Amino acid sequence: MNENPAGPRGLESETVAAPEANRAATAILEGRGLVKHYDDGDVEALRGVSLAIGEGEFVAITGPSGCGKTTLLQLLGGLDRPTGGEVLFRGHPLAAIDLDAYHARQVGFVFQSFHLLPTLTSVENVQVPMFEGPWPRRGRAPRAVSLLAEVGLPHRNAHRPGQLSVGERQRVAIARALANDPTLLLADEPTGNLDSKSQDEILRLLADLRHRRGLTLVIVTHSPEVAAAADRRIAMKDGQIT
Amino acid sequence: MGFITLIVRNATNRPTRTALTAIGLAVAIAAVIILVGISWNFERSFEAIYRSKRIDLIAVHAGSTNQLSSSLDARLVDRVRQIDGVSDASPTLVDTVAFEDQNLASVLVNGWVPESLLFRGIRILDGRSLRPGDDHNVLLGRVLALNLDRKVGDRLDVAGEPFTVVGTFESESLFENGALILPLTTLQKMMGREGQATGLVITAKSPAPESLEPLRKRIEAALPGVAVTPARDYVLADTQIRLAKAMAWATASIAMVLGAVGMLNTMLMSIFERTREIGLLRAVGWRRRRVLALILGESLAIALAGSVLGGMLAAAGMRALTLSPTSQGFIDPRIPPEVLGLGLIMGIGLSMLGGLYPAARAAALDPTEALRHE
Repeated sequence: MNENPAGPRGLESETVAAPEANRAATAILEGRGLVKHYDDGDVEALRGVSLAIGEGEFVAITGPSGCGKTTLLQLLGGLDRPTGGEVLFRGHPLAAIDLDAYHARQVGFVFQSFHLLPTLTSVENVQVPMFEGPWPRRGRAPRAVSLLAEVGLPHRNAHRPGQLSVGERQRVAIARALANDPTLLLADEPTGNLDSKSQDEILRLLADLRHRRGLTLVIVTHSPEVAAAADRRIAMKDGQIT
Repeated sequence: MGFITLIVRNATNRPTRTALTAIGLAVAIAAVIILVGISWNFERSFEAIYRSKRIDLIAVHAGSTNQLSSSLDARLVDRVRQIDGVSDASPTLVDTVAFEDQNLASVLVNGWVPESLLFRGIRILDGRSLRPGDDHNVLLGRVLALNLDRKVGDRLDVAGEPFTVVGTFESESLFENGALILPLTTLQKMMGREGQATGLVITAKSPAPESLEPLRKRIEAALPGVAVTPARDYVLADTQIRLAKAMAWATASIAMVLGAVGMLNTMLMSIFERTREIGLLRAVGWRRRRVLALILGESLAIALAGSVLGGMLAAAGMRALTLSPTSQGFIDPRIPPEVLGLGLIMGIGLSMLGGLYPAARAAALDPTEALRHE
């Protein structure tokens, strides 16, 4: 399913020696000494975080509110730039690669509040990232239908977000994250707005997708159940990994 | 889903706001088309008078800004005819009269010598033309005859004097179609300007520009105090036409700026409300140029709707003006294609300009901050 070549697309190649242990040697994603300082409020959100995430791994980042876990996910996903340190994708610093291409082709984001476009139907929402993907125009809608079926939502194609339950909305958001066959799925509190039944379903779906697609899954969560389902848990406190 | 579908979906998401913006733009575009169209038709109608009569040069009193304010001795025409290179010449007296019963406030009345070159391009529709010896006989332009509801043989009071309609005519010029023609001597007496003309019209033996200029100089040298101008230059230099064009452009420009500001306001509000959506688009890999294209595309969609509506409003507006008593007979309701194109291009261009800043702002949004936007 995944069409990614060995190296990141649109990347200025530069070999970076892995400094950490064995996991780092095969890491798809690596953070080195990440620092994030927000001038607004003079907040030190991250204080020298280093981590490595292996290809195909399921990692849960946990910790209390304000500990910096969402900031860390945003830095790993290239949505924000670190004040210090660097993020490497397959050994290449994000600062040196085409971030738009990285977002479009390598990363799928799932957000707590879904961020679906309210004027678009489920099928149309799933197609949004495909504008930057390799899909011909006529192939986008069938692909979106297929993705919605894959996430267990085959009968809500023509529904707008307002006509869906929160669990269904999150399924649409997950289908959208898969639109361009990413390598990484980064989810920020994906079950945070869901009841326990929906939470279980979404967690099962994510785990299932990870296995079927060989995805690397990184989830920021407060939920002990979600954390327990992960291969590895990274606990954070006060901007650092504990 | 195509990109255009997405643009249209976004543009119609707030139908009331989009409709109001399009209507505002339509009014601006209609204003441009109507005002510029009127001044354009005004100029072309004026030109048509001289072109249809093969008039090459016009002589007026030096310093006069238009023919109505000029006064010349009509007998000068005999001297003009003697000048080498002149084929024909004729005096003309122009004034305006009112027909209050018909709500016609300002109707052009021409005093012409019967059978003179001024009757070229005049096609008699009914009755006959003026003849030497006619005194209180009048020719009515087609539009004026309709507006006055007069036909051949009817009586018509002009400035308090009784006239008999001996013919109706059609001209290439809307001005003449909305005007009346009296014998020159009759009009001179009525206006208390015996022996006077507002100008002389001259046909050259050779209308080529290289021979017109020496002829112009020869006539001016022979007639001190008289300014001679090529017909085309005379039309372009006419104060009333220049004023009409300047007013049209000034008013149209203000309307267009207001239209563009309306678009700016709408699109700024739109991107402010959709900040998180735009953040999402950036997060899923949309390049800045695609976000820019999306917002500009939405501006274009509204501009196109406004343009179509504006064109229709302009056509209706031009028709309505022809029914107004003050402009009846002076307004050509046809919209020149050049003016229609100009209005649409200006409308779309300025709308895009109005959408450019919001689009640039949207494209520059930081995805993380945009997604956090409340």
